[in-house]
Amino acid sequence: MPTEALDAPTFQQLIDAWDLFRDPIIVSACAGGVLGYLGVFVVLRRMVFAAMALAQAAGCGVALAFFLEIHAGLPKGLANPRAWSLGLTLLATLALQWPGKKVITREGLLALVYLVGGGGALLIGTRISQEAHDIQAILFGTAVVVSETDVHLVLGFGALIMVWQLWWQRGFLFASLDHECAQVRGLPVALLDAALLLMFAVYVSLATRALGALPVFAFSVLPAMAAVAVCSSPRLAFAVAATLGVVAGAGGYVMAFFYQFPVGASQTILAAAFVVVALAVRGVMFVVQQVLPATSTEAQPQPAQGP
Amino acid sequence: MATSEVVSVGARPVVLGARRLVVGYHGKGILPPIDLEIRRGENWVVVGRNGSGKSTLLKTLLRLLPPVDGELIRPSGVEVSYVAQRHHVEPTVPMRGVDLVAMGRDQDWSFLNPFRTPDSYADVLEALRRAGCESFAMKRFDAMSGGQQQKIMLAQAIVSKPDVMILDEPTAAMDVVAERATLDVLGQLRQDLDTAVMLVTHRVSTGLRQADRACYVDLETQSIVIGAPDDVLRSPSFQRQFGDHVNCDPGHEDHHAH
Repeated sequence: MPTEALDAPTFQQLIDAWDLFRDPIIVSACAGGVLGYLGVFVVLRRMVFAAMALAQAAGCGVALAFFLEIHAGLPKGLANPRAWSLGLTLLATLALQWPGKKVITREGLLALVYLVGGGGALLIGTRISQEAHDIQAILFGTAVVVSETDVHLVLGFGALIMVWQLWWQRGFLFASLDHECAQVRGLPVALLDAALLLMFAVYVSLATRALGALPVFAFSVLPAMAAVAVCSSPRLAFAVAATLGVVAGAGGYVMAFFYQFPVGASQTILAAAFVVVALAVRGVMFVVQQVLPATSTEAQPQPAQGP
Repeated sequence: MATSEVVSVGARPVVLGARRLVVGYHGKGILPPIDLEIRRGENWVVVGRNGSGKSTLLKTLLRLLPPVDGELIRPSGVEVSYVAQRHHVEPTVPMRGVDLVAMGRDQDWSFLNPFRTPDSYADVLEALRRAGCESFAMKRFDAMSGGQQQKIMLAQAIVSKPDVMILDEPTAAMDVVAERATLDVLGQLRQDLDTAVMLVTHRVSTGLRQADRACYVDLETQSIVIGAPDDVLRSPSFQRQFGDHVNCDPGHEDHHAH
């Protein structure tokens, strides 16, 4: 209808209001890129549900901070949502390392952390009606604007994590691919695992405070799934996953602007679309390989330069 | 009665060993103390029934499990590699076989120098050739058959030219031809590189006749017998379990220590 067409946001409006949208788009792109990269480890180590549980725990931490400030009278400095989010995420990470696998299985632990995190956030949310919108934003990723502190934290820690990742990439990759062989080869597997989990937990908590649990979980899994499906080397998979994460973060935000969708949902669906496209590409590649006998498999093997 | 019989001692340098080693879990030993010395170029076969403690012994020797008691001997600079019964690589890993083999060269990783030492890929190609993987090395790992994946893991273990190689039932899923080919690869490796090989199997016939040393492990009777294969076959512990019905002739494929 003509009136709807007139009301639809335009590209010019996006440009005109760039100062308003710049920070959330940058934060979304950065979080998407870093979590997309880390997501390759999440997928290879079958930690997909751990990512989901940690994102929920981070959301619960934020809700708890609001609750403690409003109802328990905790000073604003002590009821810092980022600190509580980080604290609960680290606590959840420790819980997931629980050694008593005969008492409770890993799946059971994941379910427990996820349900306590999600249920706890919703429960607390009912007691802090004045912040209900913020709680919704944190859990489902409808945050439209981000604070300056969030911008600095997400970009700063993102850069730090990427430098650390690139520096120790070989160790992280070997320890993730084949735990036992890496240990036999003398790699400090326990330390590498702890470092990887720590950086993932910290970044999930920061990104959840800024963007919400839903898109953070989506960035941690979907770009990596797409990359792993179509790439034939880990180095390429890391690059593709990070790129898709950036595109899902920024593109999802822009898509939400034009189509007036919730931001987190828009970013999640765009990231999921990459998986669908990647699976289709993988299917085509498979058919081509079946139709055309692979001459490449008979070629002289040439390893990639590094992982 | 708990027994640990050691039959003879060689003279070449020890690459891996144990003194009064007790293996087990959570501080509780499951087998009697064991003394063994794996010497350069030796061919060891460890046999025993399913659940007899073979894998626990192997994992303790590899330092994947802490010893309950006793001492592990691993001279500094000795390179150890390992092929698991079932590889732990995620099936959808975005890697070709050749890249996984190249990863096997990774060693001496340190926090300050975490990058791979630049090398030529001649050793990777050599490992692929030795393990018979050249024709499928460029395939994605998830596009390979189970047997091909196992050969890639064998090539990965070979590529670092290890001093000692420990294999946990590497031929369990193979037919007799593939098993023979794998044993030939290991024999060639010992001949060319003087690598010591320790093969763990529940299939008594596998490589026992070609072995220099054998180790029979039995959790049920709490016995460990170590010595020349014939001595182990004739040992009271082994005889109690299997009698004279074991045929270790080459090509005889069907003797499982169930």
